[in-house]
Amino acid sequence: MKKVLALLSLAAFSLGYAQGGTLILNNYSKYDFYGYIIANNTTGNCYPHISSANPEMVRVPYDSHMGNGKALVYENYRDQYTSSLYPMATWSVALASGSSSITPRAWNNPSMAPGLVLSNNTKWATTKFVMYYPGTTDLAPDNFNGAVTLFNNCYSAPSNFTTPSGNGAEIFSITSGTDTITYIQLF
Amino acid sequence: MKKHFLLTAFAALTLISCNNEGSTTNTVESMKTPQMENFDKAFKSLGDPQNRPTEEEKKRNTSELSDRRKALLVPASKELILSSGVTEAELMRKTGGDMSQIIVWATQIYMKKSEEIRKNIKSEK
Repeated sequence: MKKVLALLSLAAFSLGYAQGGTLILNNYSKYDFYGYIIANNTTGNCYPHISSANPEMVRVPYDSHMGNGKALVYENYRDQYTSSLYPMATWSVALASGSSSITPRAWNNPSMAPGLVLSNNTKWATTKFVMYYPGTTDLAPDNFNGAVTLFNNCYSAPSNFTTPSGNGAEIFSITSGTDTITYIQLF
Repeated sequence: MKKHFLLTAFAALTLISCNNEGSTTNTVESMKTPQMENFDKAFKSLGDPQNRPTEEEKKRNTSELSDRRKALLVPASKELILSSGVTEAELMRKTGGDMSQIIVWATQIYMKKSEEIRKNIKSEK
């Protein structure tokens, strides 16, 4: 009981400090999404740069979205581990360019908490992904893969694209005051 | 010894029976309110061919969703906010009709409601 209370109060506390806002990934397509989730500094330079590490790529099955409660939702680097259907156990954190500055950090590493340097200076920014036929590693048709990233970000990719057969991917944000929600949508 | 065995067997049976109870019933999908459903549909509709980003929208210097496409999300967002017990007057006073504020507010309500549903499903099991 005590534990539950402690957890609840922790959750309530962290709500007010969500880093750059929540990430919501809706996969409305009939293919499995398999991709990296990447956040970085979007003002001035690209660091800190934070990428999914365990798992390195997240599989969000076909038809997984807010509509059926199966969307990928990351409130922040830490709390996603206990609240998300797709828990990220470890993040790969780079504080500067060069591989020597990259360190794996567990979700509960104190530095991953909301309201601190890493979360305050980064935004959900990019996904690099492939789409597979459900439950397989067979690629979806028409090159339904690639990357989408925020406008003018460090990573060179568009914010959205559509395949000839009508599938598509996009990333966008909706900002209200200090609240930003970032959406990645696969159609 | 025999008694213990019987008791254990009985306990195991009870557990199995309770376990099965939840598995047939509710999913997040079936417990959503109509307002939540419409909110989902609105987000999904951003992928409809006529609602995809236009060439002009693609050239903008921002990743913020365009006003044209935000407008597609506003009616369902308002519905969802009102269904949570907020009055129309309160909605207007708090947001001033600002589309982003309305959508972000609705998303927060949406996440909270789905969380509640998920917890209910868990506790039923």
